Amino acid sequence: MEGFEDIQPLPITTELPDELCRIMYTDEYKETMGIARALIQKQEYSKRALDLTAKAIGLAPAFYTIWNYRFDIVMHMADQDEDAARLLNGELDWVDETTLNNPKNYQIWSYKQALLERHPSPSFKRELPVLELMISDDMKNYHVWSFRKWCVLFFHDFTHELSYSDLLIQKDVYNNSAWTHRMFVLKHSNPDQKQIQLELEYVKEKIQQVPQNVSSWAYLQGLYENFLSGSYDTSIVQFAQMLTNNVTESPETAQTSWPEIDSSYALEFLATVYAKKDSTKKKAVKAYQALADKYDSIREPYWQRQISMLE
Amino acid sequence: MASIPNHAKHVRFLERHLSLLPGSQQEHDVNKMAVVFYSFTGLMALGIDVAEKYRSSLDWIHRHYITIKLPGWQQTISGFTGSLSVQIPGVNTVSLPNTLFALLVLKLMKDETFWDNHLDRQNIMTFVAKCQSPENGSFSSTLDYKNLKPSPVDPKDLRFCYIAISILYLLGCRNHNEFARHINLDKLLNYILSQQCEMGGFGSYNEAHAGYTSCALSALYLLGKLDQLSDEFKERTISWLCQRQVSREGCMSLLEPNANYDHDDHGGFQGRENKFADTCYVFWCLNSLRILGTQGCELPARLDLAEQFLLHRTQNTLIGGFSKNDQDDPDLYHTCLGIAALKLIEGSFDGVLFMPKNDAGLC
Repeated sequence: MEGFEDIQPLPITTELPDELCRIMYTDEYKETMGIARALIQKQEYSKRALDLTAKAIGLAPAFYTIWNYRFDIVMHMADQDEDAARLLNGELDWVDETTLNNPKNYQIWSYKQALLERHPSPSFKRELPVLELMISDDMKNYHVWSFRKWCVLFFHDFTHELSYSDLLIQKDVYNNSAWTHRMFVLKHSNPDQKQIQLELEYVKEKIQQVPQNVSSWAYLQGLYENFLSGSYDTSIVQFAQMLTNNVTESPETAQTSWPEIDSSYALEFLATVYAKKDSTKKKAVKAYQALADKYDSIREPYWQRQISMLE
Repeated sequence: MASIPNHAKHVRFLERHLSLLPGSQQEHDVNKMAVVFYSFTGLMALGIDVAEKYRSSLDWIHRHYITIKLPGWQQTISGFTGSLSVQIPGVNTVSLPNTLFALLVLKLMKDETFWDNHLDRQNIMTFVAKCQSPENGSFSSTLDYKNLKPSPVDPKDLRFCYIAISILYLLGCRNHNEFARHINLDKLLNYILSQQCEMGGFGSYNEAHAGYTSCALSALYLLGKLDQLSDEFKERTISWLCQRQVSREGCMSLLEPNANYDHDDHGGFQGRENKFADTCYVFWCLNSLRILGTQGCELPARLDLAEQFLLHRTQNTLIGGFSKNDQDDPDLYHTCLGIAALKLIEGSFDGVLFMPKNDAGLC
């Protein structure tokens, strides 16, 4: 290979007797891997080695040792460079380029974390546009959201997060990642009671728009459990009753025809609240029975289990 | 269910992954052991005796086992690589997941000779122990290629915690003291508990994920430490898992405006809230529910509908195999997980160790 004439390749072993999953490797693969393996063995830290790792990663993105070796090269170069920040930024650019071409590559996130941890002046501002691009391409990508949360903690910067989660929730109110991100931000930023009230108004509005949404109901419950010591007031109970056509409030215990309601999650929420007190347990049983009979009948075995645990 | 329909097609689909593969598969070169593991597990669950059928490939499988002690190291480690292509003399390339895959493959191959006479349990356990992060107790999937520290560029999460514990279990660890002799068990437990999510389930930063949930619960089960979870959290997790079964009935039909909802997913399981159902999450959710269930009690979920989702929606009846949904082509991972889920429902699959039960005698 051009530029590597002095390197004796370390060829990959194949065509063994009774080999399973034998692959018809391309010549490019065999040649690149042969040289990459030789360079790893020699531990050569050079620009040409860095370029070759990029090629090898393109062909075999799951080859963890190549990533490890590339990182080693970058760290050696950064040690010798007067401007380590510039060099590491160049590497971050390369990873982002690679990431955008192959977002399902699982190695990139931990690789980026390792680079940022060793960067003399890491910047969240640099990461934000890439994160936004990646999340807008795949709005529920678990790895990207995890990386964003890691960044928020690493940079101790929560300033962009509430408005960002709001933007994502506006785009798709069902985006569970955006809702859990919002709760994560809230729990790390010591909100006062005024802000919690604002959040309650926020989530109630989203629930009124789309009542059948497990993510917004979980957020509502999270607000009460984390910030309001789990005490559910009359107004929130009434809010849920309104979305369930008051089915838990009518005097009959058994019902042959349940009315239409807006949300099974509202009914489950009421059941959870009612199950907390002996005086309202009967209402909880009724809610579970209604869920089992009509509103969420696939989970009939689960709702029956809830009833038996109350009795 | 006595046998999976299209049995012969699924067998052929799995066997194809073990034969000569086109160059387009070379990105999976690094993880050939995973390919062998998923194919063998699927075949074995379908009743094919892989030990008999693939006996002549044992030597090739054994070649993936390496022992290494580099200059300056105090200890020797052993383990498996996922491919011969990653073995480089003088460089540490042992992989934690591929070590588990290979050990399970050896079990399926009933290779007691290699197990008893060639595997160095102590060296493998040393490798596992070194993958543990001294900072937070979690595990990395590989070590640095030059020293005995977790790789600086590798993810550390619940998947690798489960894999580490499963390896130690297969090598004989059974109780607190036996695990604690090799790893920092308290730190690991703290890490696993730190991944609990508010609404039940496990995941990073409070977004629960069915795959991570299965890893956390399986690890705690093998460690005999499920009692570390509060009863309240267990209930929340059962609830969270049951809620992952996708439905078109009652209020669930109101989910139509959600772009990630399809009423034809009825009976399948999703990995997270408001997502499409997917073959593999049937397995991860049901395995988790089974771990949390009391012995002899029926699971509080509609297993019949989960089975129908797999058989009628994600099974490929033409070329065999299972896909993740009704859109994609079948792939090896979802085929293995789909078969495993059907066998788990039937009661003939050990979901914690990920082994067909007809072979459990070997454990």
